[in-house]
Amino acid sequence: MSIKHSIPAALAIAAFALPAHAGKTLDAVKARGQLVCGVNTSGPGFSNADSQGRWTGLDVDFCRAVAAAVLNDASKVKFVPLNSQQRFSSLQAGEIDVLSRNSTWTLTRDASLGVVFAGINYFDGQGFMVPKKLKIDSAKKMNGATVCVQAGTTSEKNVADYFGANGMKYKPVVFDTAEAITSAFFAGRCQVYTTDMSDLAGARTKAPNADDYVILPQVISKEPLGPSVRRGDDEWFQIVRWTLFAMIEAEENGLTQANVDEQKTSNKDPGVQRFLGVSEDTGKLLGLDAAWAYRVVKQVGNYGESFERNLGPKTPVALPRGVNNLWTKGGLMYAPPLR
Amino acid sequence: MLAILLARNVAANLEARQIKSGFDFLSDPAGFNIGELLFDYTSRDSYLRAFAIGMSNTLRVAIAGVVLASVLGVGIGLLRLSHHPLVSGLCAAYVEIFRNIPLLIQLLAIYLLITELLPGSNDAWSVEGVALLSKEGLQIAVPEPGRLALLCALAAFVVGALLGRHAAHRWLEVGIGLVALASGAVAALGAWLIVGAAGGWSRPVLDGFLISGGASLTPEFLALWLGLALFTSASIAEIVRAGALAVPAGQWDAALALGMTRPQAIAGAIFPQALRLAIPPLASQYMNLIKNSSLAVVVGYPDLVSIGNTSINQNGQALEVIVIIMAAYLSLNLVVAAVMNAVNARVTRAPR
Repeated sequence: MSIKHSIPAALAIAAFALPAHAGKTLDAVKARGQLVCGVNTSGPGFSNADSQGRWTGLDVDFCRAVAAAVLNDASKVKFVPLNSQQRFSSLQAGEIDVLSRNSTWTLTRDASLGVVFAGINYFDGQGFMVPKKLKIDSAKKMNGATVCVQAGTTSEKNVADYFGANGMKYKPVVFDTAEAITSAFFAGRCQVYTTDMSDLAGARTKAPNADDYVILPQVISKEPLGPSVRRGDDEWFQIVRWTLFAMIEAEENGLTQANVDEQKTSNKDPGVQRFLGVSEDTGKLLGLDAAWAYRVVKQVGNYGESFERNLGPKTPVALPRGVNNLWTKGGLMYAPPLR
Repeated sequence: MLAILLARNVAANLEARQIKSGFDFLSDPAGFNIGELLFDYTSRDSYLRAFAIGMSNTLRVAIAGVVLASVLGVGIGLLRLSHHPLVSGLCAAYVEIFRNIPLLIQLLAIYLLITELLPGSNDAWSVEGVALLSKEGLQIAVPEPGRLALLCALAAFVVGALLGRHAAHRWLEVGIGLVALASGAVAALGAWLIVGAAGGWSRPVLDGFLISGGASLTPEFLALWLGLALFTSASIAEIVRAGALAVPAGQWDAALALGMTRPQAIAGAIFPQALRLAIPPLASQYMNLIKNSSLAVVVGYPDLVSIGNTSINQNGQALEVIVIIMAAYLSLNLVVAAVMNAVNARVTRAPR
């Protein structure tokens, strides 16, 4: 499947494209009046389309935040669902402006794919899901298991490293879509399904009976997930990176979708006034206007709101905030100051 | 000229976009594991070795697919000539069903059937010590591997082929060749089983959820193999039927006048002549089967394309990997074309 898309994309950039120009993405997005954002085909909590075709999720919210900052309107986003094998080719070829598709930031990807990661919007790690009836309570007891894994993910390599390091053998069965894996796993073809913990939690919601499956506590890798952009356009890179920081900073300052209008006039904190573009214009340094960060909060919300809405305890995925809490609350979410 | 220009532009653009290029990565460790191995491989081996594994898996399913599709196709094609309405009707239904449903759908359906219907490995259907059938696939007992058994099998093949040739010496040349091949294969299999068994059997054993020993066919292989064979056999059946109907009616009359029964006439006179007409379109079907095997990834079988997909995402070198895949399929099909052309040349030279 994927190769059908990645071949034309790869050939197109390779053979016909002119050398890349810096600083052109912002102009192109404005001229088009629409942000084209690459998202996951099906990742409950991150990017998922409902029966009416409405997209929701943490990664989807981030696309909307960039559109709010750049185009003044969070709804001006065209979502392009991509599987794990298409995503980087699609970004390289210029088919999308931003890739916001729970992708792990690694050295190889950052340094050799012609893409650059703009930050981390979810700190994840790879884990294992097994049927309860097998009574496996530790990842160390999986010797000889058949393991379902998705093609083109960091998981494929991590699982080889983990089993190798622990002197265990396994038989991988590799599928190219998450849907194919979940149907094979729930049918019992594999004893183990391995991917990022957040994906496992999402997949478990699709089981015929979620209580028949258990996610093991072991986390075998670091999977910092975040948005990425094409190399060679530093202006666009800064906009995407600082949109993410703005969402985190807003949570730290207690600015929410509901109170941001009131805070704009009542809150005299210089940091907040600068953030909302009341006192200083931080936007012009990014090629945007003064109210860019205000719009992100007003139209999409802060990082914590987006998390609660898509992944929090009231959602089917029900992930704990954990390390994704603010640094002030014992987590890892930290934004450099907006000044 | 155009190719050179294109290649230079490619290199310049990849450079400008800071995308790594070149074939150096082939000697780097691949880092991922592969589910089905015909020879040793671990995640520390190179990408080149991973591609070799992928190619061997492609060849394995292609060869098995060509053999099964040919046997089924010839059988169904000839049975369709039967005067019995039930037999010819069933064969016609077989052809129309498997020829007219897209291969992709057939593969998914077969895979779904296997994974949904078969029991888990801990309560596998088994013939004690001989075979196990479960979601882990089909495991069968085989003789312990040994050089003696292989040598005996080879010798038996030669003897069997000569005997077959002698028995069929009054047939047309194509018929003699096929009979010799078939009897050789049967003799070789028999010799391997008998001699190998003397050295002991490797039997499938269930331990927890682990099955070890014996030879195994995974559900992924079974689904792809059956899917390819059924789909292609429907087209082969039609080619064989067309070939048989194209043999002049006088040949039928002559064969029957010599006192042959209808089945004898088909086997000894009609089929060998039909095959002559059938070989060029048959070659196309074989090549289609090989190319269609690239659908492996939808059922999780680690063929060349599947390994290529994984590699692309580990190192991002899409262009290089796609070139490797294209070159592999091209050379494989050129070999098939050369072999089939040689067979065709030999067959058409045979006297009428």
